[in-house]
Amino acid sequence: MDYRVHLAKRMLVNKKGSLIGAVLAVSIGILVIHVNFVIFQGLYDAIVRDLKDYRFGDILVSNDEDYIDKSDIALINWFERNPYVVAATSRLDGSASINATKFGKRTEEFRIPVLGVDPLRDTQASTIHNTVGDGQFVFARNSLVMGSRVARDLGGVEVGDNVRLKFVDRHGEDQLKRFVVTGITSSAGGQGLDGSVIIHIDTLRSILDRTDETGTILVKLNDPTKAVEIKDHFLRSFPSDDFKAETIDESAEAQLSGFRSGIALINLIGYFGMMSSAFAIVTIQMMLVSSKTREIGIMRAIGAKRKDILTLFLFQGMIIGAMGAAAGTGLGLAYTFYAKETKMQFEGSLALEVTYNWEKIGQTALTSFGLAVIASIYPAYRATRLLPVEAMRTV
Amino acid sequence: MNKTYGEGETAVHALKDVSFSIKRGELLLIVGSSGSGKSTLLNMIGLLDHPTSGKIFLDGVETTTLNDNEISSFRNSKLGFVFQFANLLSDLTVLENVLLPRKIQRTDENAIDDAKKLLRTVGLEKQMNNRANKISGGQAQRAAIARGLINSPSIVLADEPTGNLDSVTAEIIVQLMKSLVKKLGQTFIIVTHDKHQFGDVDRVITMKDGRAFEEEEQRGMEVAAS
Repeated sequence: MDYRVHLAKRMLVNKKGSLIGAVLAVSIGILVIHVNFVIFQGLYDAIVRDLKDYRFGDILVSNDEDYIDKSDIALINWFERNPYVVAATSRLDGSASINATKFGKRTEEFRIPVLGVDPLRDTQASTIHNTVGDGQFVFARNSLVMGSRVARDLGGVEVGDNVRLKFVDRHGEDQLKRFVVTGITSSAGGQGLDGSVIIHIDTLRSILDRTDETGTILVKLNDPTKAVEIKDHFLRSFPSDDFKAETIDESAEAQLSGFRSGIALINLIGYFGMMSSAFAIVTIQMMLVSSKTREIGIMRAIGAKRKDILTLFLFQGMIIGAMGAAAGTGLGLAYTFYAKETKMQFEGSLALEVTYNWEKIGQTALTSFGLAVIASIYPAYRATRLLPVEAMRTV
Repeated sequence: MNKTYGEGETAVHALKDVSFSIKRGELLLIVGSSGSGKSTLLNMIGLLDHPTSGKIFLDGVETTTLNDNEISSFRNSKLGFVFQFANLLSDLTVLENVLLPRKIQRTDENAIDDAKKLLRTVGLEKQMNNRANKISGGQAQRAAIARGLINSPSIVLADEPTGNLDSVTAEIIVQLMKSLVKKLGQTFIIVTHDKHQFGDVDRVITMKDGRAFEEEEQRGMEVAAS
């Protein structure tokens, strides 16, 4: 082993307080980045997960300008022939005014979004049915699953209650229909359909007089990385139709773009934290150099060159950086593991989607190691400027 | 050579027209009272400081023209240092301290054997693995002598090597250094304020007010003064 590494190690071991302080500074910098990543990236990924599971799927097909008038069964079959497709389902969007009579008193009418689903296919292509806490998912033509916010606004509608919806069909005519509430849907974080109602797609088609028309086709994949490939293949296969096919990143862009900027800002704050730890290392290294002035003088007197002294203190920076990076990464991974295993969530909000991003973990460790070495350059340079005679006078 | 600290009216002339030569294998004592310039002179010879004017030749090399790296290499290979305070590195063991000049030189061949041999010579074979701050002052000074000799330097420079020791230990160190001069044939330049401690030596230079006098000159001056 190079004597400078050996000496750097010994000097640090014999200054345990400084070593612990410097290692803590590096590791806390890394931990902040990990915690930020777990929370904010986890929140972002959780929102993407829920939007995908409840609303958009891995691929969302719609018509560029109007409803899809091609047979939804034909399109679903086209998708389900692809081995990467788990399931596909058709949906139709609409809106209606809703009111209910509770304890003999009619509530004020208000408008809500209405989603028509194919109950059988939807449970395979989406997980929105899992958000039904009370009762069950849509199973009959007159059954309705109500979003928890809608139920609350209607004065506490419960499973088994009747509600009346007023639609406007494609000809501009009002259509009234009664439904039985069979389930209440509520999603953690509100990314589901808490503010909508869900009914059978054929019922909605019939009310709106849009038989054989579909709003969107939601496609679930077993390998989401194939989404672009499958989407492009679909668009190439139906060139004369005005289909629009989007991956989750495209379809959820409006909801996610602002959040992404927020994450970038939070990461920036994390890196500023890391810079602060670099300043702490500069201070600690300056103290180490100051406490080793006599030793530097002795080494210079017995023949050590300036570059030997520079290397010695850079090695110290490397040791601090390596130990801090290891400790910080270890702590960060422990936190990530805890967050993942406990499906961490904050006050009943949606559970974080925690992942081990090894590229980011490695990048953070390397950055903090590099910063520790860079932070050691100035103290190391100062050490080389000491004159042996002057340095040895220090007691 | 001359050495002046400061400028103008506040200038201090630490060395004034000092000029002498030393033969290889000579044991030279530099004596003088405190502030006479003896340590400054030793620092000049040891290339730890630069003269304000004049030249220093060591082993046939004009050292005043060397750059910092060359001076470091020269100090490492040609000069051995023994300081008043042993100045061992407390983070290393006795053996590692003795090995340090060799490590700096990056000539590891037989280094450990040579260091152990030297430590046996100075009577520290049992303490070689002790931390440098866990041995007595006398033992530390003996370790410092071993460190000063590990690279077989042409010149060994000792600045008050017994100045920080009790009389018994000081006597042991003096005898050790004198025996090493005979055994190794290296040039020893020792700065001391007590020349009697060393008994018979090859040569004595007395420093007074920054000037160097050979012993005969000094004696003549003392006779003239009386």
